[in-house]
Parts: sequence; structure tokens; C-alpha cells
Amino acid sequence: MSDNRSSMGRFGSDEREAVTFSFDGQEIAARNGDTVAMALWAVGEATLRRSSREGRPRGVLCNMGICYECLVLVDGVAVRACTTVVRAGMKVERGGTPGE
Amino acid sequence: MSERVRQAQVGIVGGGPAGMAAASALAARGRSVVVLDEGQRAGGQIFRQLPPGVAPPAGVSEPPSHDHGHELIDAFEGAQVELVSGATVWDSKPGRLWFEHAGESHLLECERILLAPGAMDRCIPFPGWTLPGVTTAGALQVMVRGFGVKPGRRALVVGSGPLLLPTVTALLAAGVEVVAALEASSRWNALRALPGVIGNGARLREAMWYMKQLVRAGVKLRWGWTVLRCEGDRHVERAVIAKVDGQGRPRLGTERTIEVDVVGAGFGLVPAIELGLLLGCDSRHLAARGGHCLVVDEQQRTTIDGVFAAGEIGGIGGAEVASAEGALAAAAIDHSLGGPAVSEPLVKQARAERRASDAMLRAFAPLPGLYQLANDDTIVCRCEDVPLSEARAAAELHGRSSRAIKVGCRAGMGPCQARICGPSLQQLATADPACEMDVPVVRVPVKPVRASTIVNAPG
Repeated sequence: MSDNRSSMGRFGSDEREAVTFSFDGQEIAARNGDTVAMALWAVGEATLRRSSREGRPRGVLCNMGICYECLVLVDGVAVRACTTVVRAGMKVERGGTPGE
Repeated sequence: MSERVRQAQVGIVGGGPAGMAAASALAARGRSVVVLDEGQRAGGQIFRQLPPGVAPPAGVSEPPSHDHGHELIDAFEGAQVELVSGATVWDSKPGRLWFEHAGESHLLECERILLAPGAMDRCIPFPGWTLPGVTTAGALQVMVRGFGVKPGRRALVVGSGPLLLPTVTALLAAGVEVVAALEASSRWNALRALPGVIGNGARLREAMWYMKQLVRAGVKLRWGWTVLRCEGDRHVERAVIAKVDGQGRPRLGTERTIEVDVVGAGFGLVPAIELGLLLGCDSRHLAARGGHCLVVDEQQRTTIDGVFAAGEIGGIGGAEVASAEGALAAAAIDHSLGGPAVSEPLVKQARAERRASDAMLRAFAPLPGLYQLANDDTIVCRCEDVPLSEARAAAELHGRSSRAIKVGCRAGMGPCQARICGPSLQQLATADPACEMDVPVVRVPVKPVRASTIVNAPG
């Protein structure tokens, strides 16, 4: 199920190379230098994990590496989406409970 | 970088205004300097730079203070300094900084340490603040100014403090409609800052620039308003806002509902002091400067030998304070390594900037009523998913200390290590906004890193 929202996107001009990665099996077009969190936000994906006890949607809170709310799995390893720079072919999945 | 152990005379944590100013000044004095910064590029949070290849739309201007930022960045980039971007410092002892970089474990050995890690947004929980689309004010600035990403279509900016304005102008630059900009502090409080701002040319010009941008965009900064709750299914769809009294308590009957798809909330800043605490440096609680601050003397020395600190870590003060203290710290560090004595103008400049900033912050004194926004079901610890009711029960059963609350309900035990909930947890759990705040408990690793980083730590 996608939470895709068309109002999120990019502005200004962007001449960077395109980089493609997968998010829960879906192909995402990013730009070289994007973090996982920003690449996903730019295509309208704001839900990055589910909360530990109630399974509620969570996403970017601080966007600067402090809060760990944006934990996702990159190639099976839990990382912060807001500090992880995208690589071509990276396999990203929605995260679960932090600390697991 | 390949060597896992490296040496420098000075190791600096943080590449914002304080770290950059210090690094440039030390390099000019012939000292070898390594700067460890968690971001992708120099500048810190305040002077974030767009990546190469990305340009803002034509017609977007910058506030006057950014000229100072560009000067700092240019000087820093032209200096003989090694910058390690994407470095997470997770442990430190005097003369040693352990950090993770590109998944590898590294150690920097240095004769002096300068801590300039900056600050983070203060979060005050309200119903719906965990919904995707509700972020800190700083997060939206990073999105726009650091990545060229458009946060949404219709935004609410809410909180308290001088950083709400740059959040509004960042959103406007990205083409977002700012439906409301709400400052919880009252206009009456704002008047208290007026003498300090009018007496300081740079700060006055800065304030005027922001006001001009808001007027041009038809955005009104409403004093004495805040958010009551955010609502939505899987993403924020609307916010209920209301007037607050002089203590920050919502006024019944003033509620309004606005349709928004992005909310930036920032109730001031909190100094990032964890690394200083880990090193054993003394701290003190200064509510007007954001909470627990590191103690520094008139030459930016902490209470631990060989460890200096500059900028927000000694109390929230902004970029001008940070760069002045960074330059002062550089001179003091150089002197401690055998260089000339610290010159009086550097000390005076740092003191003057602090005075100006303290005067301005009088407009944004903490408002106890804002801790009444959360209800029983509001999540207070986002890592461990702990609602306010459980934190209250824990405080009643185990005691009012942050440790007792943590033991009772797990709040603060997640990977953020209480950085988000800590600054408001005791006030919320004890229902006493004036309660005495415990010094945060820090542990190694001070930021979560891979197990392999710890196991393979050099030295």
C-alpha cells in the first residue's frame, strides 16, 4: 500500500545524475547525493517505519540524524534514512521497531 | 580516508559556524586540524548548502546573515583543514575521538579537542505529532535548503523562537503555501527583546529582512498562538490551532481548524552536550539558553583539561555567537599549545555576541502551559512508543527523576538516547513544568553505531 502524495516533490533546477533504488520492491528514481529519506519524500513516501507497539506510521522527524524515527532497512541493515545516501541498486525496506 | 588511526594537533567535532571559524583560525596559525562532521557538506545546520548541480528557483534571496555564512565557508574551504564529512563520533576521552565513517571504525588522536556539535530542535509533544508529515522546523529547512525537496503544498509552522522565520522563508522559497505561522510567545514578551535587537545593527537588519519576506508573501506571524493537535489517517491532513495565554496555556473557544499537509514544529533549541558529559565536563541548567549547557570559562575552556567548547553547546546563541566563540576558542587552543596569548578583542567580541543573543532570547522564554498540549494517549517517547499516561504512572510509582521514569516505563531507552523526549519528559511525567531537570545520562556509544565499529575500535 502506498502513501504516495503528489504535493511533495522538488523545486528549482537539478542537474544531478539519476540513481535508482528499490523501496519495498517498488522502483524509486532518486538523484545522486540524495539521502534515502529525501529521495522517498520527493516521490511522496513519508511513512518509513511502523511504531513498535501500535504499528502506527512514522517518518522523518528531525532530518538530521538525531531522532532515529526514520529507521529503514538497507540491504537488511537498520540505518537512518536521513543520513544514508542513496546508491544505485540499493534495496530499502520500511523499518520496524528501533533497536530490533 | 584510509588510515584508521590518525593524528592532528586539534580535533574539532562539528562543521557549523563555531567549528568552521575555529578550524580556519587554527590552520592560519599553522596548527594541524581535523574536523569531524555528521553532515554531507560544511556549514552545519544553519548554513546548509545545496548539493552541486542543484539551484534554487530564480528570485529566491537569502537573509543578510548568510553573507557571513558564505565568508565562513569560503575561509574554511580555503584553509589547510581536513574535513571528514559523514563522521559519527561515538566515544571520546581527552585527546581521543572515536568515530564511524563509511561503515568503518576510526580513531583521531589529538592534543586538544574542541566540541562544537551545535543544537537540535526542542520537541514538545502534542496529539498527532507522530503523524508522517509532522516534523521539526529544522527538518523542513534541511529538506529545502539542503536537498531542494518540496515539503508539501500547504504548511503550518509552529513553535517558538527565532528559527520559525527561516523555516517560513525556506518553505516560501520552495513554493509551499504557508497557511499559518504561529509563535507561542506573546507580543508582550516580544517587546522585551526589542531593546536588544534595536541596539544591534546586524540583528535588526536580519529581523527586517524576514519581516519583508513575510509581508511580500502575505504570511502573518501570529504571536500567542500554537497547535492543539494534528489529525489525519496515514499523513497529516489538518491541524487544530488556538490562541494561548502568557503562560502558553490554550484559551478555550479560540480553536480553528486548518487544512495542511506538512507541519514544522520547533519550540526553540536544545544544546547537544552529550559528548561533553561523556568527557566528564561540568554542565549547568540555563532555561533561557535551552536547558543543560556545558560550563565554559572566558577562554572557552571546559572543566576538563584539553577540552574546549564553542557555540550552542555552551547555551543557545545562534551563528554569530558560535563563530565568535569558535575564533576565541582557536586562539585559546593555540595559546595552550605554546602560541601567543589570547587577544582581548576576541574575548570582547564573543561576550558582546552572547549579550545580544541573551537579550533577544528574552522574547522566547519557555512557556510552561505548552506541556499541557499532550493528553493521556499522546506518545511522549517515540522510540519506545510510550504514552503520557504510562510516563505519569511511572513517575508516581518510581519517582520524579528521569532515571526513575525511564525504569518505570522505558521512556528514553530507545536509540535516540532520550535526545527527543529527555528535554520534556520530566515536566510531562510529573505534570510540573517547573520541576528540577536531571542532567542527561550518557553512555557509550553516545550515538548508535554498528557493533563492528565498537568491536573494531582502534586503540
